Amino acid sequence: MKPSTVRGRPRVNAVTRRLAGHLVRGLVMIWVVTTISFVIIRNIPGNPVLGQYETLIERGMSPDQAERATAALYGFLPTGSLWEQYTGYMKALLHLDLGQSLSTPGTEVVTLIGSAAKWTILPVLGGTLLSFVLGVTLGVYAGVKRSGKLGDLLSISGSLLHGVPQYVIGLLVLAIFTTLWPIFPAGGPVDVEFVPGFNAGYLASLIQHATLPVLTYALASYGGWVLAMKSSVATVLGDDFILAAELRGLSRGVLFRYIARNAILPLFTILALSLGMLFGGAIFIERIFNYPGLGLLLVNSIGARDYALMGGTFLVTTMAIIVVNIAADLLYAVIDPRVRTGGVA
Amino acid sequence: MTTTSPETGGHPGAPSPPGLAGGPGDMTAPGVRVRDLVVVYRTPLGELPALGGVSLTIEPGTITGIVGESGSGKSTLALSLLNAVQPPGRISAGSVEIDGLGNVLELGGDDLRQARGRHLGYVFQAAQNSLNPLKTVGKQLLDLGRSHGADDPRALVRDARSLLERMGLDGARVLDSHQHQLSGGMRQRVGIMLALVLNAQLVILDEPTTALDMITQATILRIVREVHKERGLTTLMVTHDIGVAAEVTDRLAVMYGGRVVEHGPTMDVIGAPSHPYTQGLIRAIPRLSGDTAEARALPGRPPTLGTLPAGGCVFRERCPLRMDVCETVEPPPVLVDRRTVACHAVAGARQERVVREERVVREQERVGREEERA
Ligand SMILES: Nc1ncnc2c1ncn2[C@@H]1O[C@H](COP(=O)(O)OP(=O)(O)OP(=O)(O)O)[C@@H](O)[C@H]1O
Ligand code: SF4
Ligand SMILES: [Mg+2]
Repeated sequence: MKPSTVRGRPRVNAVTRRLAGHLVRGLVMIWVVTTISFVIIRNIPGNPVLGQYETLIERGMSPDQAERATAALYGFLPTGSLWEQYTGYMKALLHLDLGQSLSTPGTEVVTLIGSAAKWTILPVLGGTLLSFVLGVTLGVYAGVKRSGKLGDLLSISGSLLHGVPQYVIGLLVLAIFTTLWPIFPAGGPVDVEFVPGFNAGYLASLIQHATLPVLTYALASYGGWVLAMKSSVATVLGDDFILAAELRGLSRGVLFRYIARNAILPLFTILALSLGMLFGGAIFIERIFNYPGLGLLLVNSIGARDYALMGGTFLVTTMAIIVVNIAADLLYAVIDPRVRTGGVA
Repeated sequence: MTTTSPETGGHPGAPSPPGLAGGPGDMTAPGVRVRDLVVVYRTPLGELPALGGVSLTIEPGTITGIVGESGSGKSTLALSLLNAVQPPGRISAGSVEIDGLGNVLELGGDDLRQARGRHLGYVFQAAQNSLNPLKTVGKQLLDLGRSHGADDPRALVRDARSLLERMGLDGARVLDSHQHQLSGGMRQRVGIMLALVLNAQLVILDEPTTALDMITQATILRIVREVHKERGLTTLMVTHDIGVAAEVTDRLAVMYGGRVVEHGPTMDVIGAPSHPYTQGLIRAIPRLSGDTAEARALPGRPPTLGTLPAGGCVFRERCPLRMDVCETVEPPPVLVDRRTVACHAVAGARQERVVREERVVREQERVGREEERA
C-alpha cells in the first residue's frame, strides 16, 4: 500500500512562482507589442517621421535641431540605421517617453494617455463589476431554478443581450435615455459649469455623465455572465460532491455556498477576456457618448494622423490588457486551492 | 414455519432523542422495513421500473449485504432508504419504515435533511469525489456539524480525528487537506468518517471498497465491522463482491432485475443458495464454490431497464429451472427455512414438502385412530 501521507502539501511559493512566470511572459509580450508598434510607425506610407524632419529643415532649422525636435515628437530618431532607430525608440520607452502629440502640439503623448486612461478604466471596471455581480447572482438563480418562469426569463434575456453588439447597445441606450426619455446628459465627461474637485455638484455631474457608458458596458457583458454562470451552476449541480453534501444533510445555506463558490470559479478565467473585449468596445462606446477615454483618443489620433499618439495609445491599451490578464489569473490562483497549493488545476 | 408472507414484524426501536446524539449508547440500532417499493426512471422508452416492488426487512443490529450484478438496482434501493432517488428517477410506490423516523418516503424539507447525516449515514458509490474541492476536509466537517446543530466543534474534530486515525490516517493532516491532496483510498475513508462522525445509527455504504487496493480494502472493511459492533449500528453494505459480503455481513440480500430474489443469513445463502440466480452467482466464483474446475460463469447477460420482461419472473431468460408458470406469474417471496426466496421452483418444492409432511401427519393420525379403535 502506498504510505498514507498527504500528497502535495501547500507550497507557499506556488502563487509566487506563477507570478514570476507571468511576469516573464508579460514582458516578452510587451516587447513584441512595442516592436510591432515601432515597425508600424516606421513603415507608415510616406514615412511621417522622415517627412517631419524634412519639413522642419525646409522651415530653416538646422539638421541637428530638426532631428531633436522630430525625436521628441515620435520617440525615435528620423535618421540613422534601423538598429539605431530601434534602440533609440526602446530607450525612450524605458523612460516612459512616447514622444509628443502632433495634434496637441507641445503635449507629451504620455500626458494625454494618462488623462484619458481614467475615463476608460473607471467606467469599464465599474460596468464589469456591475454586470459581474448582477449576472452571477441572477445566473445562480437561473441555474438552481432550472425550470420556472423567472429562470427561463433570465436565460432568455441573457441570450438576447449576449447576442447584441456593444455599439448597438450603446446606440440604443443613447436613444432611449437622452432622446426618448431624456434623463441623462448625452455626452462629455462632466458639465463645464462645475469646478473640478471634491464637491457635490461636480461629483454628481460626473456620475450622471458616467451612468450611460457604465450602463452600456454592463449591459454588453451582463448576458455573458448570466449564461456562463447558469451553465457553470448546471455543471456543478451534476457533480458528485453536491449529491454527497445533500446525502449528508448539509443545510441549504451551506449547500448554496458550495454550489455558488464552485460555479463562480471558472468565471474568473473569462473575466480578463471580458475586460479585454470591453476595452476594445471602448472605441465605439466612447465615441457614441463623446467620452474622452482611450478609445476616443485613439479614434481622434487616427483622424488627425497623429502617429505618435496612435502608437502610444495602442501600446498602452495592449499593455493594460496584458496586465489585466495577469491580475485575473493570479486572482484565480489565490481563490482556487488546487492552484494555490500546487495541485492539479 | 407456515406463513407464506414473509417480511412481517420488525423491531419497534427507540425514538431518537431530541437534539444531537451525545454518544453511541443512547440510541438503539433501528430496524428497516421496505415494503413494495417501486422506483422508476424516465427514459426515452417511458418510465421504466428499476425497483419492481421490493420488500426487505433489515433486523436491527445486523450488517446486511446487498449483492447483485451491475444494474440490478442496489444503489437505487440504498438511495431510497434516504428518500434520495435522483431525477430522472422517482419513487412511485411503497414505503420505507425506519425505526425512530417513520416512513422516510413521507419525510420532506428540513425533517428529511436532518434525518440524513444525523440518523442515516451514507457513503455513496463515488465517495472518491464526495468532497467540495474548494474546502479543507476540516472545514467541511464543521459545515456538517453546524448543519446538524452540533454545538461542540472541538469534540467533533476530536471524534473525526480518532476515526481517521483508526483507519490508518494522520487525522490532523487529513483534516487540514483539500480533496486533491488525498489519494482515492484516503478520500474513501474521509467519506466513511463523515458518515460515522455524527453517530448515525443506520449506516449505508454503497460499494465502499470498489477501486481500492486489497490492503486498503481490508482496513476499511475491518473498521466498518468494528464500528458496527462498538456502536451497535444497523449497517447496510452494497457490494458486487460476494467474497466481501461473506467476510463482513450477517445477512445477505441478493438482487436481480430490481427484485430481492433471496434474503437470509449470509452463511445459509452462500453455503446453500436456493434461488437459481444465487446458485449461478455462487457457482461463478471459484473461491466460494470450492472447485476451480467447476466454476462457471452465469450464462446470458443481466437485464437492463429496457430488456426487463414486463410480466412473469425477471430471471427466466437465464434460468435452468424455468417452468410455464414463470412466463406469466411473478414469483412472490416466500419464507423457506430461515430465508425469503422469490422463485416458483423453490416455492413449489417447499409446497410439495409441506404436502408430503401433511400426508404423513394425516397417515399417522389415521393409524393412531385405527390403533385406538383396535
Ligand atoms: N439516472 C438514471 N437514468 C436512467 N436509468 C438509470 C439511472 N440510474 C440508474 N438507472 C437504471 O436503474 C437500474 C438500477 O441502477 P442502479 O444504479 O441502482 O444499479 P446498481 O445495482 O447500483 O449497479 P452498479 O453495480 O453498477 O452500481 C439500472 O438498470 C440503471 O440502468
Ligand atoms: S421463478 Fe421460474 S424462472 Fe424464475 S427463478 Fe424460479 S424457476 Fe427460474
Ligand atoms: Mg450502484
